[in-house]
Amino acid sequence: MIARTVSPGSALRRAGLIATATSALVLVAALPALATGPGRDGGSEPGDGFSVLETLFWFVGVPAAIFVGIALLVTAPSMARGPRYRPGLGWWAAPVWFNGPDDADTAVRTATATTGGGGASARW
Amino acid sequence: MPAGDAFSARQQEDVVRAIRLARQQSDLPVSVYVGTLEGDSRATALQLHGALGDRAAGSVLVAVDPGARRVEIVTGPEVRRRLDDRAAGLAAMTMTSAFQAGDLSGGIANGVLALAEHAHAPRSLHTDTP
Repeated sequence: MIARTVSPGSALRRAGLIATATSALVLVAALPALATGPGRDGGSEPGDGFSVLETLFWFVGVPAAIFVGIALLVTAPSMARGPRYRPGLGWWAAPVWFNGPDDADTAVRTATATTGGGGASARW
Repeated sequence: MPAGDAFSARQQEDVVRAIRLARQQSDLPVSVYVGTLEGDSRATALQLHGALGDRAAGSVLVAVDPGARRVEIVTGPEVRRRLDDRAAGLAAMTMTSAFQAGDLSGGIANGVLALAEHAHAPRSLHTDTP
């Protein structure tokens, strides 16, 4: 097959033609909707328009309320759980000793360090 | 057991359950301390282990300092025969890998269970068969 040479000018004209044809088609398809004139559908009986306050309520107040509601739903569980441990951000809580001595403070003060034991150390 | 706000009720329950399982399955008394280890962390952990009193020799202390990011596992002289330092090191690694992800209670519970698993006395199969 022989390749056709397309000059820049004719390509531009083609693109313009396609764009015009597409928008014309869309307009033709939408003609019935435009038949009754702008802002007025057949059989419609529009009421009074919104006042400024009503407009603000419906188009600013209600979306803002929905936004705040969703934000609360997202953050509430972690707020209820309280602060959680994150490596590198320090430690805030009082010491906890599971299965420790009954009177921890006195026991630690009077204790002698274990000798002859073993174990391991690690850091993260 | 002083209950701080370091853990939620469910997290505390996880740790307590792991400690109970270690005692039931391997007869291993484990004590878990979570708080700051002032000064030399190893020396402080040994002091805390000594504070367990009479049961120190047969107990394991897991001391976690979340602020300084250190774990110290101290085994008493008696329990060391069942739980060597290599096993303690493996348990410490189990814990630190969870701590790195920010899971403090889960890491402690898994570490305690790892200690219990290593301390589990191997069943001797030849003593009860003629």
